[in-house]
Amino acid sequence: MLSCSSRAAPKGFRPYNKLLVARADRARLHTDSRPEDYDVVIVGGGPAGLALASALGSKPHVRQTTKVALIEAGDLAKIREWHLPAGSFSNRVSSLTNASQYFLESIGAWRYVDETRTAPMEEMQVWDGISDARITYVASELGFRHPTQDGSSVPQMARMTENLNLQRALLRHLSSVSEVQLLDKTKVSSIIREDREGGGWPLVHLSDGRVLRARLLIGADGFNSPVRSYAGISSYGWAYPTQAIVATLSHQPRSPLQGPNTTAYQRFLPTGPIAFLPLSPTESSLVWSTRPHLAQILTKSNPDVLTSMINAAFRLPEVSIRHLHKLISDTTAHITPNQIQEEIAWRERSHAIPPNSALSSSLANVDNTGLPPEDAEMYPPLVKSIQPGTVASFPLRFNHADTYIGEGAGSRTVLVGDAAHTIHPLAGQGLNMGLMDVESLAECIGNAVLTGGDIGSYTALMPYAQDRYFENHKILSAVDKLHKLYSSTLEPVVWARSVGLEVVNELDSVKAAIMMSAGAEPRVTIGSAARIWGAAAKGVESLAGAMGLAVTIGQGAAGAVHNGLQELMRATTGQRRV
Amino acid sequence: MTAGYGTPYSITAFQTYLFSLNSGWIVARRISKRRHFGYKEIQGGVHSRSSHDTSARRVDASPGASPSSTVNPSEIAFFSRLSQQWWDEHGEFAFLHKMNPIRMQFIREKILEITREEQGEDVAARMENGPGLLKGLDVLDVGCGGGLLSESLARLGACTLGIDASEANIGIASLHAAADPRLSSRTPSAASAGVQGSLTYAYTSAEELLRGSQRYDIVCSMEVLEHVDNPAGFLSACAELLKPGGHLFLSTIARTPLSYLLTIVAAEHILRKVSVGTHSHAKFINPSELVGFFQKYRSLSPPPNEKSGSDKSWITRTYEHGLPSRKEAEVRGMVYLPWKGAWVLAPRVASAYGAATACNYLFWVRKPTSDAL
Repeated sequence: MLSCSSRAAPKGFRPYNKLLVARADRARLHTDSRPEDYDVVIVGGGPAGLALASALGSKPHVRQTTKVALIEAGDLAKIREWHLPAGSFSNRVSSLTNASQYFLESIGAWRYVDETRTAPMEEMQVWDGISDARITYVASELGFRHPTQDGSSVPQMARMTENLNLQRALLRHLSSVSEVQLLDKTKVSSIIREDREGGGWPLVHLSDGRVLRARLLIGADGFNSPVRSYAGISSYGWAYPTQAIVATLSHQPRSPLQGPNTTAYQRFLPTGPIAFLPLSPTESSLVWSTRPHLAQILTKSNPDVLTSMINAAFRLPEVSIRHLHKLISDTTAHITPNQIQEEIAWRERSHAIPPNSALSSSLANVDNTGLPPEDAEMYPPLVKSIQPGTVASFPLRFNHADTYIGEGAGSRTVLVGDAAHTIHPLAGQGLNMGLMDVESLAECIGNAVLTGGDIGSYTALMPYAQDRYFENHKILSAVDKLHKLYSSTLEPVVWARSVGLEVVNELDSVKAAIMMSAGAEPRVTIGSAARIWGAAAKGVESLAGAMGLAVTIGQGAAGAVHNGLQELMRATTGQRRV
Repeated sequence: MTAGYGTPYSITAFQTYLFSLNSGWIVARRISKRRHFGYKEIQGGVHSRSSHDTSARRVDASPGASPSSTVNPSEIAFFSRLSQQWWDEHGEFAFLHKMNPIRMQFIREKILEITREEQGEDVAARMENGPGLLKGLDVLDVGCGGGLLSESLARLGACTLGIDASEANIGIASLHAAADPRLSSRTPSAASAGVQGSLTYAYTSAEELLRGSQRYDIVCSMEVLEHVDNPAGFLSACAELLKPGGHLFLSTIARTPLSYLLTIVAAEHILRKVSVGTHSHAKFINPSELVGFFQKYRSLSPPPNEKSGSDKSWITRTYEHGLPSRKEAEVRGMVYLPWKGAWVLAPRVASAYGAATACNYLFWVRKPTSDAL
């Protein structure tokens, strides 16, 4: 006991603490090894987990009072030493919003990011694959700027950053924070609740035999979160019938007349959106969401076939893309690059696309000297090749945990990032949402430490859940609705959404609101951001409503009067069939 | 129960009614004890040894003496059963858990403000951004209940003593603290961190503590005063336990139509969250009454070897709306926002005009230093 306590305690009082300590010690004999006490145990060394450790380590009052450990199964040294030559890029890239970048700067981690490997996104072009209705977001018009290191500011709505570049930066930042312990190449073998009267703390058993007793156990352990299972938190979601193909693309630099490669392109095809995200003047990143069987064929096909398919997917009318998909699906043998190029050339001719137009793929390997074709800036640069070894695909899902804070038998747990929510990548929000979670949670923990709170308690963590849950839910639902909206080829739906997009394009305020969903604004304006978000979510909602209406009209037009009457009967009698 | 301090003082009213829930929504059933006391009565208590005011029904209490009222033993058993729920953050005491952070915020703001005043901006800034705000201070939590406030005080570095007249409460509080390596100082990590205080619990009363020589830099008593049968005696005991220059922090409920509406009409009769008859509106105390008490109050028993300013008033003057100087005392409202599910500390401006202090409020007063003018 500390000296001051014995002074403060009047003599002759019953020593409750000693009795209880003895009891607790007896209880501990049942475990294999003696647990080590930690205030915060983070499971998962991905971007969210590392950012959380960095954020906690950046606050002096937290660092000095809070013992933090991060557990990661993989080898973090490999990420710390990660290096690629200039001009080649990893295939996992995120568009870090200005808000995310502000946060990373504020904790002192951004300065470890190799900025030469990042690229600002100054403009975004989004269009409908069927109706060609298009929205253009221009950062400078919308007033999105981000300060640079030399004190000026550049127009930017997000910064394209390789996930490994960010993770490496966070690790380098953490190596300056000795208080945070990184336990890598270590797996969590089990999490067991301590057996203690009045509620036990989580005991994290590690593969090396150590046992960590956690005041607060944080699940940054991804979609299949073991922490979430321990906490008994169920989650709601489904797998989309969609896979995302990622790859690093090489292309010609844009001509001096076109400006730099800082525009992101996204085309909504019925099979899913295809996105082109700029990394450097001659490299960009691909995220192509499509049907699983197509993804399988495309990722296994000759890289030149994939290259041609990518160029076509941004340019050819939807009907031809459908035929190309059918072609690669039906051909038993692998289709050759020549075959696919001939097919595309034939289709361009039949659509009356001149070879020198922006919609033509024929100029892919021609140096773009001279005047660019008209409307060239409406489409991404033509892809020349795919960097070897960068093609990969992964399944997409929608998932949201029922709560972020464990209660009862799962108390002293909290979820961040993908452990709490997984999202369709079409808005590029997955990592940004995770970083905003981390910022909020770190702030919440910091505030609790300042007022002497127990950071593992529900009371201390509640502000985090209040801050993030509905915010994340709005983004999740809006993106999910967009995905479903654009997966349809039904004509009234296409009409409704083309009108929706055109109307949106006219209304600057709504446009800004939709941008807010991409989190381009710094978080300092959280109140207004939340408000505008409400408007954005409503906008998407009404768009979805229009779709529902269109579907109804479509059904009516199909002459299914009988069905309609049946529907009406069901609705009025309340025998709704789900 | 250990002999020596168990018998006459163990069952003092003010400590057994610590089970006050949000805004003093007491969990106990207590119909019989509605008594009128107010400003006059508090005065009466303080001056009981010297004044001739015998008209009010006042409790014969003077500093150092124990409150005279006792509690039905069956009620103690009732409370002791409830004590198991102290640390259920969603249970009976949910509102108290939610209130704790803003009580601590008030303590923090006030300590920083006085530090800034007396030791300068630099010292205050270091305290503000560093850990261990209360490092090395002796802090007493009177009516600690399950230890919600005591644990927080200890985490900020205070050498904390939590006392309560319910043995069950002390048992629960000790059990809970034993689970926390930063509070049960058996682990070396806590000591090596250098910012951890200590936490001790004792089954005793403030009056009993006065018999010893230990005095405290800070005395807290949260959501206790409104359940005390003899508030004057209770306040005197708390005041006497302070070192010169020490801080007294209280939280309680004002006696207003609003508090009647919220704590009695709404909580008891409409929402039925609390048994009918739990509250005794007449026992609530208004901020002006506390200010008045400390305007009149004199420290009567200076600690040995200290010439405390026994003839000095704790609150020397008041301004508009009867408000004291912020260096001497302060009243801040606490407001529950149902849509946020959280308590907030009312801004100073709102507190000054009384709107926010019409129900739950915090009170701070400082014992004069011996060398002050």
